[in-house]
Amino acid sequence: MILECKELTKWYGDTAAVAELTLNLSEGKIYGFLGENGSGKTTWMKMVAGLTKPSHGEIIYKGHPLCYRDKGEIAYMATEPFFYDFMKVGDVGDYYADFFPDFDRRRFDELIGKMNLIPGQKVKNLSSGMNAKLKLAAVLSRRASLCLLDEPLNGIDYKAREEIVRMILEEADEKKTFVISTHLLEEIESFIDYAVFIRDGQLVDKIDIESERMRSGRSLAEIYMDLM
Amino acid sequence: MGKLIKYEWKKQRTSRLVIMAALAVGILAFVWGLIFDKGNASAAGIVVVLMFSMAFLVLLYTGIESILVLNRDLRTKQSYMLWMVPKSIWEILGAKFIAAILQMFVVFVSFIVAGCICLGVAVVEYGGIRTVFEMADVFAQKVLSVNISWGDLFMLCTSVFVAWTDIICIGFLSVILARTVLVKSRFAGLLAVIIFFAINFAVDKVMNILYYIPAFEDARVFAGWNPWDVVYYIFIGVVLFGVSGWVADKKLSV
Repeated sequence: MILECKELTKWYGDTAAVAELTLNLSEGKIYGFLGENGSGKTTWMKMVAGLTKPSHGEIIYKGHPLCYRDKGEIAYMATEPFFYDFMKVGDVGDYYADFFPDFDRRRFDELIGKMNLIPGQKVKNLSSGMNAKLKLAAVLSRRASLCLLDEPLNGIDYKAREEIVRMILEEADEKKTFVISTHLLEEIESFIDYAVFIRDGQLVDKIDIESERMRSGRSLAEIYMDLM
Repeated sequence: MGKLIKYEWKKQRTSRLVIMAALAVGILAFVWGLIFDKGNASAAGIVVVLMFSMAFLVLLYTGIESILVLNRDLRTKQSYMLWMVPKSIWEILGAKFIAAILQMFVVFVSFIVAGCICLGVAVVEYGGIRTVFEMADVFAQKVLSVNISWGDLFMLCTSVFVAWTDIICIGFLSVILARTVLVKSRFAGLLAVIIFFAINFAVDKVMNILYYIPAFEDARVFAGWNPWDVVYYIFIGVVLFGVSGWVADKKLSV
């Protein structure tokens, strides 16, 4: 088990964004994190990434309570652009290289080349799609044990989506765990191992996609509609 | 921590460039006066006083800007850049604080050093330090309504600098409180401002009270700026930093 969340809860005022969510993630698997907007997916990811403090509950990473050092092994890609305005594309690589021991600079340069990003481009001048590609290039260039991707396909054109999925699959192995939140069920159906359904901050179900397909023949979209 | 400081340093690059450009203009004005207005010692005195005065203004500005940068690093999505790195809260806040002090120090000292160099050049050029000091005194009395005691200038600079770092610490703590324990309040921003002024008031009050405690009474005999102020401000700075780090460690979410 790479990650165990025990009764994880996060309150924002009177609203529980995540409510007593208990969930275990196995090493080397790809999880699709599915739910409506505001269901608590991002809050859960931010807690696991160490950005947000849980109001209650526990996060156990590789057998110990999550601590700041684990950020060196957990890569998080937020939905929104988050790079500093003063940075250029190449500076993002420098920043990650400065702080993350698992960052592969050569891989980053290769990825930004594939994504048609130019190292001298100012980050603040990038379109939302290009910014999304840059975030992905930075995160996928880390050899992180746990990779949290919050809506990585948002704002990405169709052709690039295929490339991104291919890159995720290239990185995926028995040592790396991916959690991908998305509303684009068809895009991830073919490669995720488990679908985790979240509603109102609570775990609705965690389904082994392959077993479910063998058992009922339902597509991911059909399961989603049935459960949610 | 060095790498954290490096990126904190970059965040205020633009304003630092503007401040240094203003300093360059001051130096150019001084050089212009030396070359084209040779007989006018009062002009040199004015430039020198302006440089020393500006040193305090840029110190205030860069300090306030560092508080605003922390606020941005807690409120916007750019906060992820800082808080996702595998560094402890203490290292991150420490880097922010050191970077803020370094920036204040660099701009402050740049103006003071430039002022001193201009003063030295003026002494050589106009043949007597007394003339330049007199001109600077006359300007300071007319424009700033103060008498310059040149002997106390160094102590004044040190005390003001250390006192101002305390204000920055109080600003950091207020911002952190606004984004942690007060974050649920609709008036978090206003409360943070009130806390800022309340802590400032308390710090000054405690210092005044301390000087009336028998053990510290001797310190009161120093008129104006004295070394005990510096010791007190450093102690308060350490306490404020400790409280900020503790609150952030326990409560901070971005």
